[in-house]
Amino acid sequence: MDQSKLQQHYSQQYNTELEEVRTAVLRMGGLVEQQLERALSALQHGDSSQGEVVVANDYQVNALDVDIDDRCTTIIARRQPTASDLRLVMTVIKTTADLERIGDEAKRVARMAIRLSASDHGRSLFLQLEHLGDQVREMLHGVLDAYARMDVDQAIKVAHQDKRVDAEYENVLRQAITYMMEDPRSIPLILDVIWSARALERIGDRCCNISEYVIYFVKGKDVRHTSLDQMEKEVNA
Amino acid sequence: MPSSWSHEVWRLVTILAICLVLGLLQDRVLVYLLLGTSAGLGWYLYNLYRLHKWLAHPRSRDVPLEPGVWGDLYYLVLRMQAHNQARKRKLRDLLAQFRASAEALPDAAVALSNEWEIRWFNEAAVNLLNLRPGQDIGSPILNLFRSPDLSTYLEAGQFGRDLEINAPGNLELKLSVRVIPYGEHQWLLLAQDITERYRLERVRKDFVANVSHELRTPLTVLSGFIENLRHDDTAPECVQRWERPLALMDQQAERMRHIVEDLLLLAQLEGAESRPSQTRVDVAALAQTVVTDAGNCRPEGHAALHLEIGTDRQLLGEPGQLHSAFSNLVVNAVNYTPETGDITVKWYECGEGACFEVEDTGEGIAAEHLSRLTERFYRVDTGRSRKRGGTGLGLAIVKHVLQHHDAELEIVSQPGSGSRFICRFPGHRCIQPKQGQAANPQSG
Repeated sequence: MDQSKLQQHYSQQYNTELEEVRTAVLRMGGLVEQQLERALSALQHGDSSQGEVVVANDYQVNALDVDIDDRCTTIIARRQPTASDLRLVMTVIKTTADLERIGDEAKRVARMAIRLSASDHGRSLFLQLEHLGDQVREMLHGVLDAYARMDVDQAIKVAHQDKRVDAEYENVLRQAITYMMEDPRSIPLILDVIWSARALERIGDRCCNISEYVIYFVKGKDVRHTSLDQMEKEVNA
Repeated sequence: MPSSWSHEVWRLVTILAICLVLGLLQDRVLVYLLLGTSAGLGWYLYNLYRLHKWLAHPRSRDVPLEPGVWGDLYYLVLRMQAHNQARKRKLRDLLAQFRASAEALPDAAVALSNEWEIRWFNEAAVNLLNLRPGQDIGSPILNLFRSPDLSTYLEAGQFGRDLEINAPGNLELKLSVRVIPYGEHQWLLLAQDITERYRLERVRKDFVANVSHELRTPLTVLSGFIENLRHDDTAPECVQRWERPLALMDQQAERMRHIVEDLLLLAQLEGAESRPSQTRVDVAALAQTVVTDAGNCRPEGHAALHLEIGTDRQLLGEPGQLHSAFSNLVVNAVNYTPETGDITVKWYECGEGACFEVEDTGEGIAAEHLSRLTERFYRVDTGRSRKRGGTGLGLAIVKHVLQHHDAELEIVSQPGSGSRFICRFPGHRCIQPKQGQAANPQSG
């Protein structure tokens, strides 16, 4: 997507407003990325102080969400956007909603990290969780890059990655079940691990959603609730 | 050019003269003159048309060869074009050279506009910052390099210090980012790969922390047994004979314990985030405690200690860290001031913020030592300070604590006239006490 598409209005002010709202989304994305990174690092190193930072910073994500929604409402009310502008505004509104949820999931992971930092059990399960976390982080980064460049190919790549994340999630679950059967005393701890894995898996799904919005903005086609193959067909059509 | 102009003028004059003669012969002067001027005008119009056509399509090589002014005009335009082309080529070569040298830089370089939009970047930026050549030109850098730290850094506009952050999308890669203004409202962002440096620094910190920790246990065992030996009632003879060595061993073990503790504290300070918990610290009360403790640690006599509290402002910070910093300053002063001297501890407002100051009338420090005082184990006079039981880490601890609180340490001293250690805390760290718990300004 070339930048010039956003700069075709006679009103310079309108262009700036649209560009600003997009930058604000990416700023929020950067913050969410940092939150997720910190939560994962807290989980990895058993560092509860970092987890507390994540929990404490969640309000910033929420504040940005409210702020961006507010700006979008103003744009719709004052400019009555049409065509690609309207698609941009719709995309922004939906993306912020997903990003806010990703922030919440990161907070959940951080909470688990604080709780898990006290114990030493189930280290090998953590390793699996790390893998899952790395995949999800990569997805989030990739989808935000796709959003910044409005790059459809990258968006599809992210959608593909979600399959791997799902497989990894299955792995964690299977291993967790084995652990619980071996030693019932570990069940409370393993449950926390499962909740973290679940949160990470959900983040992957939300990244997929965002990649669908990117496709919607660039191609004008709604590819939600379709299979991957269908999505690719639609995009290449 | 005069020759071509005279040529032109002569041609016009000749035509008009012929017309005039013909007109006189046929007695129709005006008609012939009109015909002559019309022909001249037509000729000029035709030439103008050809020139216009040629300029509009300069690629057509067929330059009309004309004598006189028109030919000259074609020639001049051609010369100007050739000149411009040569200059353009020269500039292009220069630009290519500049770009090639910028590409060869190992650090990522990104030229930014006033709105932080990417204007240009080099090859290293593609690898380090994950930018895409061509595509990313014109988009705001914060869209692609989304670290919140970078955006606060750019918005703050204080580019005196470098920013150390992770590369976008790659946690393994540490970057040191610096922004340099150039031209009018243009910025150059340089990012250097400091992964290796970062790793080494970390190894060093871990090493110090681990070694200190490992040393603690054997030391505790040693001091315990030395203590036992010194007070062994079953063999008073032996105790008497070994009294001095045992006392020395005890003293040195104690010193080592202090060093290990200070090293651990330093390692902890270095590892901590530079944003200590935001607790209100009542400096007046803290100073009172520190002064009392410092007096008690030298029961055999010390310089007179005074406390002057000039403000009831409180500090936002970490009480434990501030206590060790202030206590180090005061204990240092007690150690280096003769018993007849004076030590004054002050807490007062200065500028926007507030200052904690320790002033003594001790022997003072020579100028060449001042800049190195806060280095670890740096000693002005090696033999002397060891005797006084210092660890050599006190001022390093003070420096780190102050850094964590955005404060600065200023040392004013001259040999023979005492020293002043001033901790300047910025305004945003100093707050008014809450209503109802205001500390009474006191002095002593």
